[in-house]
Amino acid sequence: MPEVILKNLPFLLMGLRLTAEIAFVSIIGGTVLGVLVGVVRYLRVPVLAQVADIYIIFVRGTPLLVVLFICYFGFPTLLGYQASAYYAAVLGFILFIAAYLAEDVRAGLRTVRPGLVQAALATGLARAQVIRLVVLPIALRNVIPTFFNQYVRLFKFTSVASVIGVNELTGSAMLVNGREFAPIPIIGFIALTYLVCCFVISMVGRLLYSRLAVRA
Amino acid sequence: MSYKLDWAPIWNNRDLIIEGFITTVELSALGLVLALATGVIVGTAGSTNSRILRSGSAAYVELMRNIPLLVHMYIWYVALAFLKLPPFMCAAFGLALYSGAYVAEIVRSGIGAVPQGQRLVALATGLTPAQALLLVVYPQALRMVMPSLASICSQLIKDSSLASVITVAELTYQASAIEGQTFRTFEVYITISLLYLLLVTIVTYGLLLVAGARDDLEQRVSDA
Amino acid sequence: MTEEPMIVLDKVSKSYGPTVVLRDCTMSIKRGEVVVICGPSGSGKSTLIKCINGLEPYQSGSIRVEDVDVGARTTNLPALRTRIGMVFQHFELYPHMSALDNIILAQVHALKRERDEAETRARKLLDRVGLSQRAHARPANLSGGQQQRVAIARALALDPKAMLFDEPTSALDPEMISEVLDVMVELAGEGMTMLVVTHEMGFARSVADRIVFMDRSEIVEDTPADQFFSAPKSQRAQEFLSKVLAH
Repeated sequence: MPEVILKNLPFLLMGLRLTAEIAFVSIIGGTVLGVLVGVVRYLRVPVLAQVADIYIIFVRGTPLLVVLFICYFGFPTLLGYQASAYYAAVLGFILFIAAYLAEDVRAGLRTVRPGLVQAALATGLARAQVIRLVVLPIALRNVIPTFFNQYVRLFKFTSVASVIGVNELTGSAMLVNGREFAPIPIIGFIALTYLVCCFVISMVGRLLYSRLAVRA
Repeated sequence: MSYKLDWAPIWNNRDLIIEGFITTVELSALGLVLALATGVIVGTAGSTNSRILRSGSAAYVELMRNIPLLVHMYIWYVALAFLKLPPFMCAAFGLALYSGAYVAEIVRSGIGAVPQGQRLVALATGLTPAQALLLVVYPQALRMVMPSLASICSQLIKDSSLASVITVAELTYQASAIEGQTFRTFEVYITISLLYLLLVTIVTYGLLLVAGARDDLEQRVSDA
Repeated sequence: MTEEPMIVLDKVSKSYGPTVVLRDCTMSIKRGEVVVICGPSGSGKSTLIKCINGLEPYQSGSIRVEDVDVGARTTNLPALRTRIGMVFQHFELYPHMSALDNIILAQVHALKRERDEAETRARKLLDRVGLSQRAHARPANLSGGQQQRVAIARALALDPKAMLFDEPTSALDPEMISEVLDVMVELAGEGMTMLVVTHEMGFARSVADRIVFMDRSEIVEDTPADQFFSAPKSQRAQEFLSKVLAH
């Protein structure tokens, strides 16, 4: 490994750690929000479904960078609070990925056969119980590959947080480069790191899917 | 809420916004053309019988896809700074290689979805392999993958916003500039959000109309 | 057998937009009766029985199950459905659960039984349909006939007063039809009130009390079983029988 990398490895690894943290929190938060919004749209809950529709259309048509700017600059100015780049980034990522996951959830819910829903209703379960006990567990299992595609995408997107000053992996690398002026090994290093991490995430997803998938 | 929404400064700076919008369109167009070119080449390679070409294609796709777009742009702008490429070109190349990898995957599976028989029939009627590919296989593959391509295209338009980081004066860059002057943070970013949304919607509808995939229209727009 | 009918349909009509699916259907079932509904495809048979437990809404007429008006807004449909069991053409077992859990689910969540009690009953029912060995198998690992038997056990787990069957053997390979029919014949012998939509005329002849013949959204005939097979009243029923029994 090139000397410049070795010298700055601790700093770069801290950046990686921050990347992983942000990704992890955003994935969890985004998944929870995404599932909720997806279910709300599937059930067409009055008022909430319309709000969800607007949210999804808006976020899916907006670049991630702009979403981050709105969370870091926009909301604090509008609502009058101080923002930290880290929390603004996490909020932005959660809002961003949830909009995509919600659509995947809704698509997944619709693939559950109506016959199965009818059979569950026929045994005396209420609608809410059928969604909770039958439809959702099946749909979520089947969307695992789609979800993990989004997770990998999010992991890559954490690099954009560097623009609002978060010292995750890309941010740290550019800082180091500012000192060392060795862009090729440095950027090569982080490119490789992202590659490996994305690969690992995909593998986890594939493993999970092979264990949990059901033919519905 | 002590902050009062004031859209006037945004309107006053509409020239900057329009300039940025045009640059975004130019950058997206160039990036798209380059992405399609590289994607079609790599994707076609991935669909051949040659093991070397197929693994080469797969490796290329994995490599390009799993490196964040921002890092791609930094590679051209910082790592390869000795090439002295203008930032616009750095952004365009970054978009080309990154989105090109996604295009390659789609092209590959699209070609794979065209029945083998089609290519054989074309060859049997005396067309050269290249003609068979161009005149028979590609058009059919294109029809099938159009919705996915529209999706990639809209993604590319949004991704072009990262060019602002390497100082390309596209829409997001201009927004930051306006914000710096007027401090109308919320208004300016909402405005450009809507502009991106408008652009993406127009382009997606346009592409799908061109491909004649009218029935898929609504479903695909919501996928974008 | 009590005199008062258990399920009463009175002039039930249903349309999907301009298409009429059911037209003035009137019939009733007494406790312990086994009624078979037959007729050409598209005649509305499946839709009719799905109206009985409220799975399909209807526009006019009335359906009463033990004096509960199925179509009334205030009716507690989930509670009603625990008293009527239903078996579907495509089995519809929950793919993410074992056979045993399929049978336990509604007992615990709809009837609020204790899980242990639910499991004991589930095992008994699996035994009754001959599948105690496959308690922990997932539906994907069961044959069609086995899945349908589990589906019957699932419906019986709620101790229903009546059972509805929607073409239970139509999706089965021929060799598996008898294992399911045997279970149904046993049920009938035990006095269960059954309404069965089926093409299996052999089953109908041996077990049914009455045959209801439907064609083009209407109930054309409603006669005691032996009478239907020996001397069907209507032209359409005669044509249908001759085609079906020709195999």
